[in-house]
Amino acid sequence: MIWLHHVAKLYDTGPVALPALTDVSFSVDKGEFVVLSGPSGAGKTTLLRLLYRDERPSEGEIEVAGFDLVTLRRSRIPLLRRSIGIVFQDAKLLAGRTVFENVAFVLRVLGTPRGEITPRAFQALKAVGLSARAQAYPAQLSQGEAQRASLARAIVKAPALLLADEPTGNLDEDMAAEILELIKEIWTRGTTVLLATHRGALAAQLKRRTLTLRAGRLVKDEG
Amino acid sequence: MFSFLVGEAVRDLRRAGRVGLSAVLLITLSLAALGAFWLVSINLERAVTQWRERLRVVAYLRDEPRPEAVAELVRKVQAVGGIQRVRYVSKGEALESLKRALGAQSSVVDQLPRNPLPASVEVTPDEATATPEGTRELVQRLTALREVEEVQGGAEWVESLAQWRRLFQLTGLAVGAVLALAAILTVTTATTLVLHARRDEMEIMRLVGATERVIRLPLLLQGMVQGLLGALIALGGLEAAHALLAPRLEPLLTLTLGLSRAAFLSAPEMLLLLGGGAGLGALGGVLAKGRSFA
Ligand SMILES: Nc1ncnc2c1ncn2[C@@H]1O[C@H](COP(=O)(O)OP(=O)(O)OP(=O)(O)O)[C@@H](O)[C@H]1O
Ligand SMILES: [Mg+2]
Repeated sequence: MIWLHHVAKLYDTGPVALPALTDVSFSVDKGEFVVLSGPSGAGKTTLLRLLYRDERPSEGEIEVAGFDLVTLRRSRIPLLRRSIGIVFQDAKLLAGRTVFENVAFVLRVLGTPRGEITPRAFQALKAVGLSARAQAYPAQLSQGEAQRASLARAIVKAPALLLADEPTGNLDEDMAAEILELIKEIWTRGTTVLLATHRGALAAQLKRRTLTLRAGRLVKDEG
Repeated sequence: MFSFLVGEAVRDLRRAGRVGLSAVLLITLSLAALGAFWLVSINLERAVTQWRERLRVVAYLRDEPRPEAVAELVRKVQAVGGIQRVRYVSKGEALESLKRALGAQSSVVDQLPRNPLPASVEVTPDEATATPEGTRELVQRLTALREVEEVQGGAEWVESLAQWRRLFQLTGLAVGAVLALAAILTVTTATTLVLHARRDEMEIMRLVGATERVIRLPLLLQGMVQGLLGALIALGGLEAAHALLAPRLEPLLTLTLGLSRAAFLSAPEMLLLLGGGAGLGALGGVLAKGRSFA
């Protein structure tokens, strides 16, 4: 599902370009649940951005969901993104639309047949336990609910891969555990998951394969 | 998918708000100006063609020829060259047409002791000769004929009419172009605002894998709607102005230009105007895109 070969990333920031990633190689098979851990600034977000082709690697090769990201043409990026669901620390919901509309928006944007949109959006909301709040606006949601809505939006298009960047960063422990439980459920139904977090305890608690980044280098791959 | 794009475009229109409204207003102004000049130009054009077709040179004769000499005279006139058609008008026929022109007052003519009108030949110049130069030379050649007393007619004023028309057309195009430019810029500004308001949406769209076409089409559509709205209002205004002014102007038009009525834009011309509006709007929408993505 994911394959990286000697990947390096330097952000172009004037005279002192510090590498955000250096010589990173690993692979993730279809159906795996992998935790990406490491302290703040280690390069987790950078790595995820490379995976959904928000950034290009400075060196090395990357393959995701069968796409070679080094040679991937700009016009084909949407195809790659369709097979990836993404959640961030902040839910990034559209404020002017209800929870349901936020989820349905994805399907509409992707040209899903009209008749499929409503059932699929509700199914996704049900999967995250948010059916009752479908007509609420983002401002009316708790942070945990907002994050669940954003999770519903990520999975509504049934992606093969779910990338989660600190999805519990804004949440207290209980809500964080709830979100992690949901992500695990999504994984059980066949989606490959890569979850980035800087909380070592959380990573340990998940008891899954964990890749550890430190200062842009992959220092551990265990579990 | 179509309903989605249209829905997004409507949202975008609302987001464009007041700037969008001023964009519509400017498009209205530019197209109304363009359309008004166009209307005037169309009517002048009609007058010009009508007068070109009707262009006649009349040679008044010293004496009325005997009936059997008419054919010979016509041949002789024809022989001076540059002539499409010659029509002989006898004294009697001249009087008849005077009576017809006078209508109700024609009895005045019957009071005349004798027919004061001369016989004449009406000459229609051929196409090559129907220019100011050509008719002037034709008039000279006709004057040289022994039977001819005096020659009247010429193309000068028709040509100056044609020049007026061209002037109107150019002024209209220039004024319209300046206003159109302003309109495009306003649509661009409105669309830039839309883009700003739409940042989050576009970020999500890109993240979930929407194609650029889907992301940008609503922008183009909302620009087009602004343009089309402006064009519709402009057309409505022109129609109203035409309906209001035409009946008042027509007596004057008949007198000065010989047009019995002031024509409005034809259906294809109206469509062209609407298409122009839509085009202006779309262009504004596209330009904003270029700027913000650069
Ligand atoms: N857009 C950018 N331009 C320049 N430098 C950047 C950019 N994004 C990240 N960096 C730098 O790259 C390094 C890695 O950042 P990154 O955001 O990937 O870390 P992270 O592991 O996600 O940290 P956190 O846990 O705080 O989210 C940092 O030194 C950061 O300053
Ligand atoms: Mg990060």
